[in-house]
Amino acid sequence: MNVISRAADPDELCRQAISCLDTGRGDVARPILAAARALAPPSPKLILAEVRMALTEKQFHQAVALLDSALLAAPGHLDLRKRRAEVRHSLGDWEGAARDAAEAITLAPADCDCKALLGMALLELGLLPAAIACLREAAAATSNVRYLEALSRALEAAGDAAAALRVLTDAIARGEAKPSLFNAAIVLNIRRRDFVQAVDLAGQAGALGIADAGTFSLKGHALCSLGCHDEAACAYQDALKLAPEDPHVRHLAAAQGCASPGPRAPAGFLKRSFDLCAGWIEAHLAGLGYRIPELACDVLRQHPSIRAGNPLGPVLDLGCGTGLVAVALHGLPVGPFTGVDISPNMLAQARTKRLYAELREADITDELRGGKASWPLIIAADVISYMGELGDILHDIRARLVPDGWFIFSVESLLPDRDGVMPGNGAWALQRQGRYVHAHDYLYDCIAAAGLRVIRQDRCSIRREAGADVPGLLLTTSPARA
Amino acid sequence: MNATVQPDLPPPDIQGMTLLAAGDFLQALEPLRLALARGDTRPSTVLNLAIAEDRAGDRLRAHRLMRIVAEARPEWDEPVLRLAESLRAAGDHAGAEQAYRQALRINPDRIEALIALSGQLLLRGEAAEARDLLLRCCVLAPRNAEAWNTLGLAFRATGAADLALDAFATARSHDPGNVGYALHLADAALAAGDAEAALQRLEQAAATDGANPALLAARGVILERLGRRQDAIHVLEAAAVLGGNDLTIQRLLGNLLVRSGNAARAEAVLRDIAERDPDSAQARNDHAAALMRVHRHAEAREILLQLLERDGPHVSVMCNLANATACLGLQAEAVAVARRAIEADPDAPHPRRALCNTLPYLHGTTGPELLAAMQACSSRLPRIAQPPLGNTPDPERRLNVGLLSGTLRSHPVGWLTVAGIETLDSARFAVSCLVQNSALHDPLARRFHAAAERWIEVDALTDDALVATARAAGIDILIDLGGYGDASRIMACANRLAPVQVKWVGMQAHTSGLAEMDWFITDRWETPPGFEALYSERLLRLPDGYVCYSPPPYAPAVKPPPALSHGHITFGCFNNIAKLTPELIEAWITILNRIPDARLILKTHQLTHPETAARLRACFKGIAPDRIETRGSSGHRVFMGEYDDVDIVLDPFPYSGGLTTCEALWMGVPTITWPGAIFASRHSASHLSNAGLADWIAPTLPDYIAMAVERAADLPALAALRADLRERVRLSPLCDAPRFGRNLGAALREIWRDWCSRRSDGHLD
Repeated sequence: MNVISRAADPDELCRQAISCLDTGRGDVARPILAAARALAPPSPKLILAEVRMALTEKQFHQAVALLDSALLAAPGHLDLRKRRAEVRHSLGDWEGAARDAAEAITLAPADCDCKALLGMALLELGLLPAAIACLREAAAATSNVRYLEALSRALEAAGDAAAALRVLTDAIARGEAKPSLFNAAIVLNIRRRDFVQAVDLAGQAGALGIADAGTFSLKGHALCSLGCHDEAACAYQDALKLAPEDPHVRHLAAAQGCASPGPRAPAGFLKRSFDLCAGWIEAHLAGLGYRIPELACDVLRQHPSIRAGNPLGPVLDLGCGTGLVAVALHGLPVGPFTGVDISPNMLAQARTKRLYAELREADITDELRGGKASWPLIIAADVISYMGELGDILHDIRARLVPDGWFIFSVESLLPDRDGVMPGNGAWALQRQGRYVHAHDYLYDCIAAAGLRVIRQDRCSIRREAGADVPGLLLTTSPARA
Repeated sequence: MNATVQPDLPPPDIQGMTLLAAGDFLQALEPLRLALARGDTRPSTVLNLAIAEDRAGDRLRAHRLMRIVAEARPEWDEPVLRLAESLRAAGDHAGAEQAYRQALRINPDRIEALIALSGQLLLRGEAAEARDLLLRCCVLAPRNAEAWNTLGLAFRATGAADLALDAFATARSHDPGNVGYALHLADAALAAGDAEAALQRLEQAAATDGANPALLAARGVILERLGRRQDAIHVLEAAAVLGGNDLTIQRLLGNLLVRSGNAARAEAVLRDIAERDPDSAQARNDHAAALMRVHRHAEAREILLQLLERDGPHVSVMCNLANATACLGLQAEAVAVARRAIEADPDAPHPRRALCNTLPYLHGTTGPELLAAMQACSSRLPRIAQPPLGNTPDPERRLNVGLLSGTLRSHPVGWLTVAGIETLDSARFAVSCLVQNSALHDPLARRFHAAAERWIEVDALTDDALVATARAAGIDILIDLGGYGDASRIMACANRLAPVQVKWVGMQAHTSGLAEMDWFITDRWETPPGFEALYSERLLRLPDGYVCYSPPPYAPAVKPPPALSHGHITFGCFNNIAKLTPELIEAWITILNRIPDARLILKTHQLTHPETAARLRACFKGIAPDRIETRGSSGHRVFMGEYDDVDIVLDPFPYSGGLTTCEALWMGVPTITWPGAIFASRHSASHLSNAGLADWIAPTLPDYIAMAVERAADLPALAALRADLRERVRLSPLCDAPRFGRNLGAALREIWRDWCSRRSDGHLD
């Protein structure tokens, strides 16, 4: 009754497994590959299929182990060698990837994939001229979008943003209709603050039928930067249709009133946004009249220790960005500075200031909850504006202050709109720029509930927008005495 | 072909026996007959001849020979056992049972007889006696897998689920490659509530025997029942490959793919099964149903007609035929088939459902007629007494709104409801999706998923289990989005999933007729005052339209009307052919005759089929063939882009365009519509009114024709309208999701308050 005769041709099983992997059905491939392996010693073809299987399951080390043993048996097998270069690259083993790619080039000097693999590894190793040479050669021989993007990255890293952009736009002009290519080009334009070109590229992508949440989000970003908020709202709405589960996109859409706002800006949103603008944000902030760090410096001069001529001690700069706080406080007897920011690009800018003893890449909530140190001074300049609900964050900050420590932070004020209606939920509201504004009553309630007291409150302009001051507060708080 | 008996070959009895052993029954006949003719009447020779005759099809002769041997050798159990097996194969179960008992009287320990007699006993419900025989059998032959398997069946039939599970496990351990045993084990594990543990055991077994197709098949069955449908598909796909496409596994896979909404792949698998098992009416009917799901209705209809011709009237086949016929635009014929199915089984709901699904397309169908058909269907749904619902009758509390649907994805239901669901105030409403055919790779499904607090896949649930699940989930307001369509679960609503039940989009051709469906979401254009009597539900009129269209982000930009460059007007209709009636085509012919250079583009899935397209074009008598263009399937973006070739859409009647009208508007193309009385006939009127284009609604058929001619003559007006239509639609209530969400929330709150108030007044249990 119903006894099945099993399939017994390992090559056929391997072919079927590869077909399953090609169609994204890794779970189907797994038992078929196991059956093929049980029938005969594994061929390189089977090993490569097993490596693909392992990679779909994110089993990178297993993939390397499979390739290691296969290459021991067949060190001159080009495909195995190239594959290991790729896997090592995925694991961040750039040197290993470069060695395998170089070895592969000796096996197949005309193989452009080998050159691209080497170029990508060299890019990660910071060997830019060699990386650019390899990637140029590979990109000239094939229209592989991944290679073009890597070449563009290498050129940008080498400081030639125009050439980087040209690589992408030339490919687009040749008819390459890959979302990643468009998105990379749009990002480059946003970094260059060429928002018109960014919007135009997003439009070209749309005309080609590219429906990608990333493209629509970037289009929204560029449109917002151009002040076209209604069109930006449409773009963010479309992005949200394509990525309804993405908190970054949801936050952007919520900021345009297209979705319910969350209690804070998602970490992914902050990271991506600030990575995008790290190169030009200081100049931009200067243009907006942003001077919270300087105001914090003025406040700090009134600190009893400083007035007494004593050093205040270590400073935790939450959301340090490019390091403007450390610059502003440089002349005061405070420090050493520890800066925390979620954006690696911002931290890279801060590092150039050489004012921080330590710079850590982290979300500030994780930093506060994960650390143990207590600080005499914590500063959050233009950071709390990315939080709606403040109860938890203020509580976490209170827990990290020494008994007489100070926490200085800025917030934007929640004000009625033109019709006299208070936006948001009465406590806070999310604004079009993706930042939160807060009602003062709510703020004081949260401060008190966290066990803090207000030492000083300075009404100030956070920055200028469309020629008008954005009103806010600079608050200085300290743990409440029992 | 006859076997040739050569003199240098072994004696004929030996030749015959050898061929018989090799399974060559026909070739064995001749030497064995020759042996008998030469006077070899030894019992073994006669019995071998009897077996060969039996297998070759001459049962009477076989039985006579077997009885001769049995009489000649009364102490030998073999001839009686062979007779029993032949009788069983011939369907003579009583005769077979008697013969098995005789064999056991001769040899009480004959294993085959014990197993087979037990099987016969199980067939007629004598499970206890079967169990006792099998227990003895398993003691006698502890390594006989079939004995353990049959014992499992006997335990299962006596309600001893745990013992059945053990017995099947033993059977499987003795024959791990047997897919039947593995599947019995899986079923027993599920019945014993041991699915998780069974899965774990199977996964452990897979560590050493992962390529065993039987093992994989069992895993697939359990995975599906645990709600891991995609995993189940993968495992069964692998089992099918490793099992050399075994039919049992293929059937499991095909049915699972159907349940999963994976229509194209299901069609391929079910086609393969039907080709390899051509005698199976079920296989061909299933294949036809799968073809319908991939819009290949003409092929489906052909198979179903052949099936009826070959096997005679069968209700399930007739129901499928009715639907396939309607989808080819043969409305009257479809309704006639559905009515014949009802005559064949007047008490069954399914033929009534086929009528409900075909009647709205037939020209001249009236509201009262449709109401009666729906009520006749819904009154036949099974109803079981249910415990009272425990929902707290607090009028202002946060409500749990359940969406019951097989189409929460890129489908008209999805495009017309998702934005409203997304914008329901989450502080006031929690959304629970009770999903058939969940497709989380689909962008719209992901939107529903993101908006829902709970996502419950209900495919594997019977209607009773669905009722229990919905009640356990505490659904306050259940919204049915399936009607009587494919993958619908409205049948379960007859037993109340929630205290308040609402019909909304999704085969919402007209009323559901269901007494337990309390409300019907509509608007003032779909159901103007005075239409109440045509509905069994109370009408819940939303302030704007009854749906909110969420345009696809990939829709191409609007282009100027093609008439400006072509020099002639192009009408279009991208609706399902089921909506194209002879009366409609007659009206279109009149329009085309009045505008001699006008063209008409018809586009829909079924027109991919050349014969269907040719048949449709032939309906346009007197119109030059080059004026009628038919277009088949395309991707959605291409579909939207093809409105670039259309100046004006002509709406079908009596079944109006719904989503299609919204899509045309989004692409800048207005629709001329002639609404009737039934709900399905008024969709375009609703959408056009909602978008501020009520002047495109014709009150009569002559007006419909005249409007088409008149609007086609005013190209500047068409161009001006088209230039800003998308923006106009975007800003209109048709696409204003937050506004729709507020309205929907207010309406749901109102009906909840109504329920609370009626309950507190003692009008409800």
